[in-house]
Amino acid sequence: MVSPAIALAFLPLLLTVIIKYRYYFVLLYRAVLVRTWKDCVTGLTREERAYQYVLTHATPGDPDSILDAFDVWCSKVEFISNIGPKKGKILDRLLMEQRPLTVLELGAHCGYSTVRIARSLPLGARLYSIEMDQRNAAIAEKIIRLAGFDDDTVELIVNPSDEVIPCLRSDYNLERLDFVFMDHWKKCYLPDLQMLEGSGLLGKGSMVLADNVLFPGAPKFLRYLRKSGLYEWKIHRATLEYSKGIRDGMAELVYLGIK
Amino acid sequence: MPRDSLITSENDIDVGLDLAEDEDVLASEEGHERERHRGKRRDGDREKRKREKRRRKEAHRAEEGEDEVQTRPERRERGKRKRAKNDQEAKGREKDEAEEQELEKLKEAVDDRKKLIQGLRGKPFPMKKKLVTLRESQEFVEKYEGALGKGKGRKLYAYKVMMTKKWMKFQRDFENFKTACIPWEMKIKEIESHFGSSVASYFIFLRWMYGINMILFGLTFGLVMVPEALMGRPYGSMPRKTVPRGEEASAMDFAVLWDFGGYAQYSVLFYGFYNNQRAIGWLKFRMPLSYFLVGVGTVAYSYMVVIRTMARNANESGVGDDNSFNFSWKMFTSWDYLIGNPETADNKFASITTSFKEAILEEQESHKDDNIHLTRFLRVLANFLVLCCLAGSGYLIYFVVRRSQKFALDGLENHTWWERNEVNMVMSLLGMFCPMLFDVISALENYHPRVALQWQLGRIFALFLGNLYTFIIALMDEINLKREEEKIIKFNITMWEVSLYNGTVSENSTAPSITIHPADVPRGPCWETMVGQEFVRLIISDTMTTYITLLIGDFLRAVLVRFLNYCWCWDLEAGFPSYSEFDVSGNVLGLIFNQGMIWMGAFYAPCLPALNVLRLHVSMYLQCWAVMCCNVPQERVFKASGSNNFYMAMLLVILFLSTLPAIYTIVTIPPSFDCGPFSGKNRMFDVIHETLESDFPAWFSKVFSYASNPGLVLPFILLMVLAIYYLQSTSKSYREANVELKKKLQTQNEENKRKNKRAALKAQMDLEEARKTASQTAEQQKNNNASLQDQEADEEEDFSSSQRLNHGKNGHHPPPTAGDRQLPASRAPAPRTYHHGNHGAPGYLPGFSRQSEPRMCRVPSLQRH
Repeated sequence: MVSPAIALAFLPLLLTVIIKYRYYFVLLYRAVLVRTWKDCVTGLTREERAYQYVLTHATPGDPDSILDAFDVWCSKVEFISNIGPKKGKILDRLLMEQRPLTVLELGAHCGYSTVRIARSLPLGARLYSIEMDQRNAAIAEKIIRLAGFDDDTVELIVNPSDEVIPCLRSDYNLERLDFVFMDHWKKCYLPDLQMLEGSGLLGKGSMVLADNVLFPGAPKFLRYLRKSGLYEWKIHRATLEYSKGIRDGMAELVYLGIK
Repeated sequence: MPRDSLITSENDIDVGLDLAEDEDVLASEEGHERERHRGKRRDGDREKRKREKRRRKEAHRAEEGEDEVQTRPERRERGKRKRAKNDQEAKGREKDEAEEQELEKLKEAVDDRKKLIQGLRGKPFPMKKKLVTLRESQEFVEKYEGALGKGKGRKLYAYKVMMTKKWMKFQRDFENFKTACIPWEMKIKEIESHFGSSVASYFIFLRWMYGINMILFGLTFGLVMVPEALMGRPYGSMPRKTVPRGEEASAMDFAVLWDFGGYAQYSVLFYGFYNNQRAIGWLKFRMPLSYFLVGVGTVAYSYMVVIRTMARNANESGVGDDNSFNFSWKMFTSWDYLIGNPETADNKFASITTSFKEAILEEQESHKDDNIHLTRFLRVLANFLVLCCLAGSGYLIYFVVRRSQKFALDGLENHTWWERNEVNMVMSLLGMFCPMLFDVISALENYHPRVALQWQLGRIFALFLGNLYTFIIALMDEINLKREEEKIIKFNITMWEVSLYNGTVSENSTAPSITIHPADVPRGPCWETMVGQEFVRLIISDTMTTYITLLIGDFLRAVLVRFLNYCWCWDLEAGFPSYSEFDVSGNVLGLIFNQGMIWMGAFYAPCLPALNVLRLHVSMYLQCWAVMCCNVPQERVFKASGSNNFYMAMLLVILFLSTLPAIYTIVTIPPSFDCGPFSGKNRMFDVIHETLESDFPAWFSKVFSYASNPGLVLPFILLMVLAIYYLQSTSKSYREANVELKKKLQTQNEENKRKNKRAALKAQMDLEEARKTASQTAEQQKNNNASLQDQEADEEEDFSSSQRLNHGKNGHHPPPTAGDRQLPASRAPAPRTYHHGNHGAPGYLPGFSRQSEPRMCRVPSLQRH
């Protein structure tokens, strides 16, 4: 039997682990435990609960108030991995600088980032948003309409990204994408990027912005970037949305074209 | 570094010599450079060039097959042949003269080349051109240097040149050989290229430690263990050299041997085995004296080496101050040129940028100083927490040691392995986990990383020291217990002997040859062996913990991260568990404390240096492998240039603190009566006295006794103290002078810079004025009635220029104080505001007065921070 003194000697280790990884524990609690608990209690999905909250707390037709309501819900009530206000500012700035006319968004989730992008688009620009999950797409649709964006500005495509990207050119008459925002499955970043390259939709100066490349992280994606000379890229370092201590980053890629 | 570069460059030249097939290739490569040199010897150029070409080709052909040496005679022969031919052709002295002239020219050219080579470093060429030029010129010099000597001297000269070349080559090879002989050099270099110099500095430290331990091991092994094993009495001849009857059954069990009991305890590995016989073997080796001197010598040697290394390091590091030119240092010295791995380079790059950001932030923060109370509170809180942690760990160790004494009284056999090894386990575990906790706590304090690292090191140091001293105090308690026990046993033994003697006498008085087997003789507890055993056990358990942590914490983690990453929901490699980093500070401290334990225990367990050598050897290989295999480069790669002496200073402190208890026990506690080389003496150091009395002539001991007289020793110590004080004060004054000189240099530099700037400004102003007058005249031509404003402006222009001139006068003699220097800075903007206030048109004045003047003022102020 291990003596109590030896067990006590492990106390510093325990304390260290708890203190060091407290943000991860909090995240685990909020994103997993609270979610399953609420799922069981209410019978709704997390996205539906968020939608209900936004519906009751935001002004229809005002994208800012919708985004604010989302932020409040995600930081105070439950956790949804939207892009969040801090990284959202970077996104806004890039959009303002770039003034893209055709934007592709991979992974609309429940519409937060779609609204965010559509809000800062120039006049006459069009946003194609791809979402795989039916229920999420329905909510995203509602949110987008609630924010006051019509079909001309935002087009929601309900299909997996790897099916949609090859037929973007044929089905939607797209010639060139000015801006691509990636926030779907982290494992799909690399194949989707390669698919975009292959489809020839990326032109010189097209920008790709990939969220969450450090946490949960897309290492293969980053490794590919380092090796391929096709992009001028950098990582905006920030923290994970609605959490202070977890470091995360967004990769900003500018397509240089094949020389 | 310069030696290495020299070697490689010379090797390159050798290769280049072989590669340079034709002159034409070279000429095309670098035409005008050669042209310039050739221009100096224009007359007779063409002919010579032809000859050169031929000669070079032949020489090259010869070189391909044979050695360079053989080409020289050939060339000389060819020269002779040529000369003979010339004689035949012209039969006159004119040709000879021409030859002479040519030689002269050649010599000149060679000298030119030599000069070029020497001054090449300062030439404003691009690197590529430099290299090509260097190669060219060296080749040229090599070709024609041998042909320069005249007449008889020529042969000798050529021979001399050849020999110097050979000698240089030999030296080079010897250097390379020496480098190859340094143990683990390649390994360390590889690690350095992957992980930066801070990690490498740990391994260099480890190697250095290994060297010292080798010497300690050599001393103890050669002068104590081997003589005793070869010439001392064999095992089983005396009670102290025999396993007691009660332990005989289990003396060969692995568990017992692993705890260094049984046969291991009764061997040369421990103090108790040695006999107090004055001289052993046919060599009459003075064993006890040797034992004592080796014990003292190891400590003395360690002190000497550590202090010498410290002094050398201090000399090497110079008097660089890291504080005054923060940004310049960062700008020019933060790259680690030994990094050879792209990932590490990335990390280094990131860390440099972050350090810049932090430094800028810090600079801004230092002007703000808001919320100082919160910071202070947090720092105090952090220190309080650390103190609590230290106290807790100290108490835990004390508690455990007490418990172990209780177990020992009960008899160790009744307890489990866990309970028996509790002390070592707890000490190792606390030593491992508490630093982590400190690290986490120190995040509260918000110190600069460098300061934070020092605090961290200090805390770990305190922890280790506290643990070690708790252990020693507990050990002292145990020693006292043993000595009580010894007294009783001593009494019992005398009783036993008396009774035995009486018994034998009463039974048969004629035969006193009753022999008792040494295993049956009762014996004392021998506290020295006990102390030695404790230390050996501690070292063993410490080593085991280190290795197991390495295997589990690094290797297993790396394996899990690597292979679970394929099927995990987040990125294990970049995210949460990740690969571990190499913990330099913890490892260095572990090494230092390990060494401290060796120094403490080596007197009572001569096997300790041997064990330590083994441990260091294994850990060199194991850690090298582990670092390369399962660690990632640190996120903040920092250079370790200044830290070496810090390690050394810690080592010195530990050396002092670890010799303290050892010396205390040696001086104050009488040795056990029936074990060890000093048994039967009152104190251990009596052995010196004894040797002096019996082995040296009488006059020597007399002299020694005089010399050790306090009346002589005290003045001597006083003298030494005075000398030290004197040396220290002189060094201090030197340092001050250095600082003074540096300041002077700095001010001079600033002065020069400002002067240059002023000259540039003036030139620019003149230019501007000229331009303006030109435009004005044009305007006047165009529009004759000049406005009032223009005149005003002219006046103001004059005013400001005179102001600036005043600055110039001010600046010519070096300003004595900082305040004086700042004067122009505070005055300069004044006329500018005046200008702007008066006129609504800011674009009217030349732009430089607005832009460059504040910059000029800011230069000194930036540097002063």
